[in-house]
Amino acid sequence: MLSSDLSLKKVKIPLLSDSISAGFPSPADDHTEENIDLNEYLISNPCSTFFLRVKGDSMINSGIKDNDLIIVDKSLTAKPGNIIIAMIDGEFTIKRLCIKNNELCLKAENYNYPDFSFKNHIDIQIWGVVIYSIHSYL
Amino acid sequence: MRKKRSLTEAIALVDANNFYASCEQSINPHLRNKPVVILSNNDGCIIARSPEARALKIKMGIPYFKVKERLNRLGVAVLSSNYSLYGDMSKRLMNLLKDYSEEIEIYSIDEAFVSVSRPENKNLHPWARKLRSLIYQNLGITLTIGIGENKVRAKIANNLAKNIDTSAGIFDLVRIENENNYLRGIPVHKVWGIGKQTSNWLQSKGIKNAEELRDMDENEIIRKLGIIGKRLQLELKGNKCLPIEKIKKQKKEIQISRSFGKPITKLEDLTQALAIYAIKASAKMRSQKLKSSAITVFARTSHYSTHSYQKSAYKKLINATDNTNTILKIVIALSKEIYNPEYKLSKAGVLMQDLTNNQYLQHSIINYESQENLKRSINLMTTIDSLNKKFNNKAITWAITKRSQEWAMKRNSLSFTSTTDIKKIPNIMT
Repeated sequence: MLSSDLSLKKVKIPLLSDSISAGFPSPADDHTEENIDLNEYLISNPCSTFFLRVKGDSMINSGIKDNDLIIVDKSLTAKPGNIIIAMIDGEFTIKRLCIKNNELCLKAENYNYPDFSFKNHIDIQIWGVVIYSIHSYL
Repeated sequence: MRKKRSLTEAIALVDANNFYASCEQSINPHLRNKPVVILSNNDGCIIARSPEARALKIKMGIPYFKVKERLNRLGVAVLSSNYSLYGDMSKRLMNLLKDYSEEIEIYSIDEAFVSVSRPENKNLHPWARKLRSLIYQNLGITLTIGIGENKVRAKIANNLAKNIDTSAGIFDLVRIENENNYLRGIPVHKVWGIGKQTSNWLQSKGIKNAEELRDMDENEIIRKLGIIGKRLQLELKGNKCLPIEKIKKQKKEIQISRSFGKPITKLEDLTQALAIYAIKASAKMRSQKLKSSAITVFARTSHYSTHSYQKSAYKKLINATDNTNTILKIVIALSKEIYNPEYKLSKAGVLMQDLTNNQYLQHSIINYESQENLKRSINLMTTIDSLNKKFNNKAITWAITKRSQEWAMKRNSLSFTSTTDIKKIPNIMT
């Protein structure tokens, strides 16, 4: 249901729902504004925003869990501290971008996983910056 | 040497390199820096190649079965075309281009003419470099940008940007000194608007390249090609004749046709295929606010068949319609007229013709449908369209589509990744 064509696929959650059977007009009618649109709230650059599905637990300490939906904005330039999507040797991975000993590295948020240093990998590229993760509690 | 005019506006032709392959490589890291080819519908021919596949001298348009073994041996990734992905990436690309230009004419899925003002110092290279890196960062797609005074020269500049290694994907035909040398290198059939016949005629007159076409006797061009030829020559000289067309001309007809994965010999299969196309065509009309008052269906055997057959049937309607139920009834009836059990049909299609903008029809004097019925059918179609929009075309359809579709298109190597369907978005291993 989520797509780049955000204007067409709004998820509508009514702010006010009035159902008056007959007789008097609702006093709130003039004050009803619009629906909350999560796409509008979560996404500021629809052309460069992509959705990905997380598989695995290496980011668990940051709150990103297995099967979560993450929203990635490719137009943002990654800064240290950001959670990012990187391509390492032909694989997508999600890690936190950090500076360690004056060098950029990618850190997992789970002590069972090693850090990746940029200089140990030939083919490493930052694909986009994670802006939100969506977790279901059901 | 011709004198440079002082200019305020430039036209650029912007196109994406290896668009389909780039889309796949952009969202699938396994495909990065690897040779990738994309197959046409039914996995017939190679229709796109990544630069790595191009370097292996894999030919464009070649039937897949002829090179299957070689591709295997070379480790080339072979993908069926995934048009919903390419369509989404194209929409993103065009929206970004809109933000980076003054006017835009979307010319095809992966190319657009844009207009930009030339800055004080007349150098558009910084603009073009910025646009290229922006699109690469946002979409993983590499652009070629050709800049000229008008569309014809922008197209030539784009051609030069592609063929000159040192251009880095950008060529500005206005800012060069030895223009004639460059135009001389453009064969006449590569000039925008010169078709095969015109090209042959020009060759017979000794006109071989863009420079010679530009300097050709104007009267001779007008005699043969009329005003269109004159405009083309004026554009080659640097005048602006063809405007940026912001709004696409209204379509004259909507056609949905496909080749079958397996030839059809039974009437019920033909009817089912045509019904599915009719449902698609009706929804497409509604999305463009069009109604049709003439419907054609057709079917034919393969071009390679020795026992060949082709037939079409046509029905004119009193009231223009966009209602799937009405259209389905007509198409199902017409399918019986074109069916012939003696032939193996390989392709069929429906055409919605005599299209009119449906807002003008509400007030039609001759309207045999009662207003009540009309209103009800509009409501029903609107509901179906909005549900289908919400659920990726899977919410509501007609029973006829539900029988197994043995004839359906073959897409064995479909890339399953999508940017528009939540169930098929890329996975990321943490």
